[in-house]
Parts: sequence; structure tokens; C-alpha cells
Amino acid sequence: MKRGDFWIAYVLLLVAQLLLSNYFHVTPYIFLTILPVMVLCIPIRVGTTGAMLIAALTGLTVDYLSEGVLGLNALALIPVAYFRNGIIGLVFGRELFARKEDFSVERCGFGKVAMALFLSTLLFLVIYIWADGAGTRPLWFNGLRLAASLGASFVVSLLTLGVLAPDPRK
Amino acid sequence: MRGRGILSSIANLVIFILLEVACLHLVTNNAALQRTWVARGSHAFMGTVWGASESVRHYFTLSAENKKLVEENNELQQQLAKAQHRLRQARIDTTQTDTHPGYTLTPAEVVKISRNKQHNYLIINRGFEDGIQEKSGIVTSKGVVGIIDAVSEHHAFALSLQNHDISISARIGNEGGSGILVWDGIHSNVALLKEVPLQYHYQPGDTVFTSGHSLLFPPDIPLGVAGESRVINGATNEITVTLFQDFGSVRYVTVVHNDSFDEIEAF
Repeated sequence: MKRGDFWIAYVLLLVAQLLLSNYFHVTPYIFLTILPVMVLCIPIRVGTTGAMLIAALTGLTVDYLSEGVLGLNALALIPVAYFRNGIIGLVFGRELFARKEDFSVERCGFGKVAMALFLSTLLFLVIYIWADGAGTRPLWFNGLRLAASLGASFVVSLLTLGVLAPDPRK
Repeated sequence: MRGRGILSSIANLVIFILLEVACLHLVTNNAALQRTWVARGSHAFMGTVWGASESVRHYFTLSAENKKLVEENNELQQQLAKAQHRLRQARIDTTQTDTHPGYTLTPAEVVKISRNKQHNYLIINRGFEDGIQEKSGIVTSKGVVGIIDAVSEHHAFALSLQNHDISISARIGNEGGSGILVWDGIHSNVALLKEVPLQYHYQPGDTVFTSGHSLLFPPDIPLGVAGESRVINGATNEITVTLFQDFGSVRYVTVVHNDSFDEIEAF
């Protein structure tokens, strides 16, 4: 995937996230997000600092342009960017960094990619739901919301993988 | 290369913290709920930090605290000594009342007592300069303690009731039979009332008093409670007596001396 293509896809998915945030209110138990997968798929060569800045900008954009508390998405998304290298190293191994290659389903396998996606989404949702509840919601509600949101967001995020992390051989 | 990696990690961490703090600041400025939540959390955190720092500060001021406590302890000990002196004076005033006419009562304090021998003794802090004489009894409110055997200038040596060499005259109940009370030699609080005539009946639980038949002790000092009995040689009863006196805690005693002792002994 060319650099320019990725960033175009990134912006388009950001718009998609805005639509989801503004119009997808089926139930309070489900918070649908594709922000973690977007950050996870930022090219490795960007580095952690760059990824964190992009994540902050992305989160603030969503916060500003959608209904919600300003800073909340950024607060949850920056840790995903910070731990992104750790997750990638843990799931795919350190060779990707040595070769400066981005991961893809075709290269690394669906299971590993799904695992990395799951971990980053989980990290994001734990922080988001915890901060959104602000200690006012019971644990069972937060737990249920986390499980439902994680399931829904994971499925939607998998669908975006084809755009963000396509087969490099194509 | 490795140092550069560490620096890069530190820089990333610093940026991460700065970005998160900035986001948290944004969140708290834009939502009352989150503002309260963060404030509550920060107060709890500060409370923990301050508590820990106070603990550390207290640890380093322990030396001064100890010095202060020692001074306080010293002062309290001085006050206690004064109070004990006043208490002793008060005991002297109250015990020298004429509760046993014909007897001279002198308060004393036990300075040494033995309890684990067959011939036990005690030493009191009153001697012949205080008017103490040989052949005087030693009592407390709980009964007889012993008999004075030797007297020095400021101290007196007495045979304890827990001594096979002494016996005292005692009776059961107000009008019961009299006998000789001696220590059983086994238990610290058990004595035997011997030579009680068979015609005198008693009930277990009856109180045993000094009879007043001896010259050493005034009558009616309660000594203990009668228990089981057995007939000796078909002629007398031997009754087990549980003593009131706890020899383990005896400290303040009264020396009783019969004013007519010498006169009666002369007969």
C-alpha cells in the first residue's frame, strides 16, 4: 500500500467513525469504535511519538465533531498508540521492526492480527468506559458495556483491515 | 545505540504522560461529572501521598518523641510515688482504728515472701522501732498470713501460714466447733482444720473464722470456706478449708499484737 493511500483510507475511516459516533446509538451498552484499529495500523516507520500525536489529533477530532466529552476519545486512544509497538512485538515478534514492515493478514496470519486488534480495542475500551462512567456506574454495567462494545467493535474493526492493512503483494 | 533507545523510550514516556495529562485536563474542563471524578481521585491520591510523607516525617522525629515520652514517664513515676506514699499514710490512718479491742494494729508492707517451700516465711518492713514484737500475728482483710518469729530494728521475720511449723486456732461458723488450722502442704490456698469434735456439725461452705482462743489473733477474722471432712481415729473431724487469702498477691498487711500477751503468758 502506498503511503498516500493509507492516509486517505485513514481520513475516510475517521469520517466513518464520526458517522458512527453521531448516528449509531442503538443501546447504551454498545459503543462502536474503529479508532484502535486505525492507530494499530499506522505504519511502523511513523514511530511511537508520531503515532501518539496522530492518535491525539484523531481522538480530539472525533471528540470535537461528535457528541461527547472533549478529550475522552483522545485520552483512551493515546495509550493504544503508546503500547502499539509493545502489542505488535508481543503478537507478531520483533522482526517486523527490524524489517520495518507493516503487518497484514496475509503476511502474519488472521489469528495474530485478530489478537493484536483485540488487545488494542480492549485497551481503548477499558480506558474509555472507565473514564466515561467517572465512577458513577456500577461495575456490572461497565463490564457488560465493555463486553458488548468489544464484540461489536472487534467485528467492525476486522472489516476495516482490508483497507488499512491490505495484502502487500497486491 | 542502546543509550539512544533508552533516551527514546524516556522521551516517548514523557510525551505520553504530557498528552494524557492534557487530555485529562480537557475532559475535566468540559464535563462536570469527570471533573468531580478526577478531583475525588486526585484528593485520594494526595491524601495517600501526604499520609506517607507524614509517616516518614514522624519516623525521623521519633528520637525527639522518645525523649519527650521519657520525660513524661519520669514525671508520672514521681506522681505515682507521691500517690503511693499518700495511700500508705491513709492505710495507716484507717487500719489503726480500734477494730480489735485489746490488740495493737500496725500496718506493714511485705518486702519478701517465699511460697514454694514447705517452710515458707515472709519479711515485713516494720521492726522493734515500730513497736513490733515477737509472737504477733499478721493478718489482712482476707485472713491470716503468718506469725512473727523474729524482729530486727526495722524489719520482722515471720513464719507464713504456708509453713508446717505454725498452726492457729479456728472455728467453723459463728458457734461451730473449734480446731487447729494448718496448711495442707500441697495447695497454696488449702488448709486443714484438725481436731474438730464430732458432735459439732457443719455444712460445706460454712465460713471458718479465727476462734480467738489463741493469744495471737483476735477472734472472727474470716479465714476461708469449709469443704469436705473425714473422721480421724473415730474421734475428731478433719475438715478441708479453702483459704480466702491469696499468698501470691499479698503485699500490705497488718501486724496484730495482743496487749495482754505478756500478762496471760505469765500464767
